[in-house]
Amino acid sequence: MMEKVISGNDAVALAVKLSRVKVTGIYPITPQTYIIESLSEMKDRGELETEIIRVESEHSAMAATFGAAAAGVRAYTATASQGLLYMHEMVWWVAGSRIPVVMTVGTRAVGPPWNIWNEHTDFMSERDSGWIMAFASTPQEAMDLTITAFRITEDERVFLPMMIGMDGFILSHTKTRVYVPSQEEVDSYLPPRRQPYVLDPEDSIAMGNMFSPEDYMKLRESIHRAQIASKEVIVEAGKEYMKRVVPIGSYSTLNESYKLEDADYAVVIMGAWSLDAMQAVDELRKEGLKVGVYRVRFVRPWAEEEVVKALSDKSVLVLDRSVSFGRGGQLYTEVKASLPDTDIKGVITGLGGVSIGKNEMKVIIRKFVEKPQGIEWFYPEEARKIELRSPRYIK
Amino acid sequence: MSLNYQLFPISKPGKGAGGKTGNWRIVKPLVHEDKCVGCKACYIWCPEGTIIIKDGKVAVDYEYCKGCGICFNVCPAKAIEMVSES
Repeated sequence: MMEKVISGNDAVALAVKLSRVKVTGIYPITPQTYIIESLSEMKDRGELETEIIRVESEHSAMAATFGAAAAGVRAYTATASQGLLYMHEMVWWVAGSRIPVVMTVGTRAVGPPWNIWNEHTDFMSERDSGWIMAFASTPQEAMDLTITAFRITEDERVFLPMMIGMDGFILSHTKTRVYVPSQEEVDSYLPPRRQPYVLDPEDSIAMGNMFSPEDYMKLRESIHRAQIASKEVIVEAGKEYMKRVVPIGSYSTLNESYKLEDADYAVVIMGAWSLDAMQAVDELRKEGLKVGVYRVRFVRPWAEEEVVKALSDKSVLVLDRSVSFGRGGQLYTEVKASLPDTDIKGVITGLGGVSIGKNEMKVIIRKFVEKPQGIEWFYPEEARKIELRSPRYIK
Repeated sequence: MSLNYQLFPISKPGKGAGGKTGNWRIVKPLVHEDKCVGCKACYIWCPEGTIIIKDGKVAVDYEYCKGCGICFNVCPAKAIEMVSES
């Protein structure tokens, strides 16, 4: 293990190299492009054993990656935003096929209007696809989750693909200290590739062919049950990672609790801005407000038991950097379903790169303490005490 | 932990994996053995693999033949006739 100062994209590219990925189908899209550029540069220098397939679209990127994985090797790709939406059909195909594949989503807003900045709606819109879905809060965690993803997805109790969300620019392009494991450490952690079946001309099978409605439904239930079973696999993989690879994470649970033990109020949040929420909580505690943070790391599987245990006796605020139009934030609806008898407030903010930091969080939390229900859209002008400019694109 | 819940969407190739498709037929091919020259054009063209080769001549597997008539169309010896099922 060695310390490096690298970006989230660098960390993920190194994780792919260290995991001995054999094939990657790549197509560029901001903000993940530097991952595949970094992989290509490593390949050019002769440091990477991964075969790189350059394709003409994200749909093909996932198709190429899936084909390689089906043929029996560890395969990886990365995308974001419009690219993920264009890939959507293949995303479902991979999960339904039960072939382990790992993907990074450098989260980004979805147009129109055109916007390359961070939000989580692209990632959240895949939550019904059958993929295991984790979200990083630091470049370190993006690396850790990428390496553990290969172990989780290739476990016989799971055999599902996994995507790792990473906030566009905030994590993908910001350099921080990352503990990079050695090749020996990762080799001792990742077992040889396993998958439920292999595309092999010597032993022919029909993949994903027409099934009867009853068999189709049983296969859908199987994905659901594998998701539920993956909870213990994720925790095992996380604990083993901290033992053998990088010993600093919080991976003995699916999600992370911060100063929640004695808290009256809890802020549920996911991704890079969780750390801003933790800073806000530190300062609000000095003012006597008993508030903590519950950081969601896994959207799928949903950690129902952990959520209920951590939050059922608190007043809950859920911050969503994404929205399901006509309903509210996706995390808000998830938490609300787990805690039907709790007062929960949902705040949607930070969309399209709207900058939300510690000070804005403090304003949001104070308002929530005054009125802990409902759904609200929060604009940072409120916290910065500046007048709302009339946006030029609205009359 | 039991892995009984793990099911995968694949199947092994086998005869009639989609059920006996012969009952889809409304017309059926009849082979006139006296005219059959054993060229196997019908065997090559049949999309369902229901042409059986027997002693240099051909026969039809009626359990799975859907009655599409491709064999009738490609037979150079005009040894196949399509007749109504009813």
